[in-house]
Amino acid sequence: MKKSIAAILLIALAVSGGFAQDKVTLTVMNYQQADQAGYPEDVKIWQDFQAANPDITLNIEVLFNDPYHQKLQAYAAAGTMPDVFYVWPGARSAVVHEKRLAKDLNQLLGAAYLKDFSAAATNPANQLGKYMAMLPQSYTYTSVMYVNKKLLEDNGFKLPKTYADLKKMVPKLKAKGVSVAMLPNKDAWPMQSCLFSTVVGRMAGDSFLDAVLAGKAKFTDKEFVASLQVIADLYKDGIFSREDVQIGYGEAAGMFASGKAAIYIDGDWRVGAYITDKASGKALIAPAAQESDFVLLPFPSIPGEKNRGVVSAVAGTGWAVSSSLPAGSAKEKAATRLIKYLYSPEVQAIRFGTGAYVPTRKGVKADVEPLVAKVPVFYADNAKTCYVVDGVLDPAVYNVINDGLIAIGLGTKAPAQVAAETQKAYESWLASK
Amino acid sequence: MPNRLRLRGEEGRAYWSMVLPAFSIYLLVMAFPIVLSIVLSVSNYDGGKMFGGDPWGFAGFKAYARVFSDPLFWNALKNNAYIVLMSVFGQLPLGFIFAYIIYRKLVKWPGFWQGVLYVPNIISVIVVGLLWQTIFSPNGPIAEVMNSIARAGFQSRLEAILAGVGSLDISDDHVRKILDLAGPAALEWFTDPVPELKELIQSYSGAPMQELLNDLCNLFVQRWSPEFLSKSNVAMLPILFVLLWMYTGMYLILFLANMQKIDAQIIEAARIDGASEWQVMRCIILPSLSGTIVNSAILAISGSLSSFSLIFAMTGGGPSRVTEILSIYMYNNAFLGRPNLPLANAISLIMVVISFFLIVLTKLAEKRYGGKED
Repeated sequence: MKKSIAAILLIALAVSGGFAQDKVTLTVMNYQQADQAGYPEDVKIWQDFQAANPDITLNIEVLFNDPYHQKLQAYAAAGTMPDVFYVWPGARSAVVHEKRLAKDLNQLLGAAYLKDFSAAATNPANQLGKYMAMLPQSYTYTSVMYVNKKLLEDNGFKLPKTYADLKKMVPKLKAKGVSVAMLPNKDAWPMQSCLFSTVVGRMAGDSFLDAVLAGKAKFTDKEFVASLQVIADLYKDGIFSREDVQIGYGEAAGMFASGKAAIYIDGDWRVGAYITDKASGKALIAPAAQESDFVLLPFPSIPGEKNRGVVSAVAGTGWAVSSSLPAGSAKEKAATRLIKYLYSPEVQAIRFGTGAYVPTRKGVKADVEPLVAKVPVFYADNAKTCYVVDGVLDPAVYNVINDGLIAIGLGTKAPAQVAAETQKAYESWLASK
Repeated sequence: MPNRLRLRGEEGRAYWSMVLPAFSIYLLVMAFPIVLSIVLSVSNYDGGKMFGGDPWGFAGFKAYARVFSDPLFWNALKNNAYIVLMSVFGQLPLGFIFAYIIYRKLVKWPGFWQGVLYVPNIISVIVVGLLWQTIFSPNGPIAEVMNSIARAGFQSRLEAILAGVGSLDISDDHVRKILDLAGPAALEWFTDPVPELKELIQSYSGAPMQELLNDLCNLFVQRWSPEFLSKSNVAMLPILFVLLWMYTGMYLILFLANMQKIDAQIIEAARIDGASEWQVMRCIILPSLSGTIVNSAILAISGSLSSFSLIFAMTGGGPSRVTEILSIYMYNNAFLGRPNLPLANAISLIMVVISFFLIVLTKLAEKRYGGKED
């Protein structure tokens, strides 16, 4: 009898041991700004995962902007990368791609899972390391004109189709104390990312930047100088105000919404700034006005452009899994489960709804405000895209372009001078490699 | 003899057992990062795991060569020199003068003035930076005042041109005069300036004259701020002013505390012997404080070279990097975009060398001209 009881106990112990799951802890680095619309939704996304997966403990570190990148770099230097982290597809996260600090998601997630994402998102060629270190959540258009249609109509203007249309607006709108177009450039990157890249795409084309990188063309060539000249002309012709170089990126959205400018140029991600903030219930532009008074347009055609209508676009940010996780380990399985959750239709619908981006996951539906709904329409109407300068050049080079564009805005440097400085920076960078 | 040796061995063990913990912490926390910084500055480390990852090695003085060949480095160095000069020849003398005035009770309510002058020092540097950034911004109060002055001047000249002329019967001659008044930049806004401006002015027929004047001012009056802050020779002025405003109080307190250590009877005796206020300051207080002045100068120099937050909050080194100082130059070049640790360490070591050089210079100046404290 004693023997049989002992045997039953042993079997019970073995069975319970076999079914019991060890709790896995994942370290996560999340990129989020706590005072931004969409933050409460982000917090809930993580809480929901935690509640649905009690066998996984998430140890989340949340940072934003440069501190995020610096901390990630420090983790990389120390060899203690988090298990799951947020990554840029290009030079911003160069160390991750070049040192292969992230697993190849093509292998981890598999073709069957990835078929539900757009081809641009799953193309490894769109990432610096030419392998799928991360899965872009969006394919971002970095150059969109947010147009206050009502303000233009009130002053007797139609939607601009050419550069001349923009210039024609200057005297009348300026007299009313309204800028024709606004692009805040105190932070140096917006002009390059949100307009200059498109201008280079139009005037010179991607083939020009490819030729520069292959050593077959120079930044001092006439196509690039002509692109810089377009920016100089925008200031000289009064379309942009020179004060814009003193305005911070965060300030401008409110200024545009209050009618200080008829056109605001930014990336598609900026729609999130105008829609209703769920926490406060307030919107910079009321949904009804978003529908009737505002439109999203590409920059108008420029005299001398080679590639009509192209708009700069780049694979967006996304999640990566540390390459240090052993293949087939419980941690790797937990990280895969987390990644699949983060890219699930439900989570992507929440992100779409907050105006964060238009997901690369196909068929995601969400109840979005009119301005957000206009973004996929903008994509469909402007299928031809070109490089974003900071997506293809090294920071040592594009930072010189960024500064040069400010100097052009202030009128302190000529386009040819900025082109020469860019070429010099490029040659120095090549020499330092 | 063996006893003495044993004693020496015990002393040695006791010595090391007491010194070693602190020495190890020093090596780990102070010496190791300094050595690592020097090593990294001449290395080809390009990210990733520092120890145990991809191997990295000696790259020579490439990073230093890159820094010295960069005109932006020399611009940042020049701006730092301005700050050092402002600190040593602005904050220190001013702090000394204020301290002297308060110490000798040459003003009423010395305690009040001491507090007022010290207050900027206790406000958070970031708050001060953002405050003055707002004050100097294109929409800030200074810009508003300057723009109002420019606008009033422009409007009075415009009124003179348009005196007795209605918007409908304006002639080409009047329009040309307005365009002359507006300046050559305004001509670029029109394809054909005279007829286009004329048409614009005529569109105001029926509207009050003040509306036309107001709108023409909107159109033509040049805004103040960007022109001023973009010029590299003057862009540092607002920053230097804020630094003077903020840190003078700190030196005031340092000098005042040391002045209070001087025996009042010496000053009293000098005054009885007929010494003037100037002679008291020159012959008694200044020599007594020479050590304090040197220490303050060292503080000012090292603080000026390593300052970052105030200027970062005020201008971020902009516009177009004209207000960049060495620390911001390091941040922008080495940490924005793709981090470059060899470059960052090279810049920081150059800053350390400059700092040492200036401090040695200050010490030599004290030896040559200074008196003795105590």
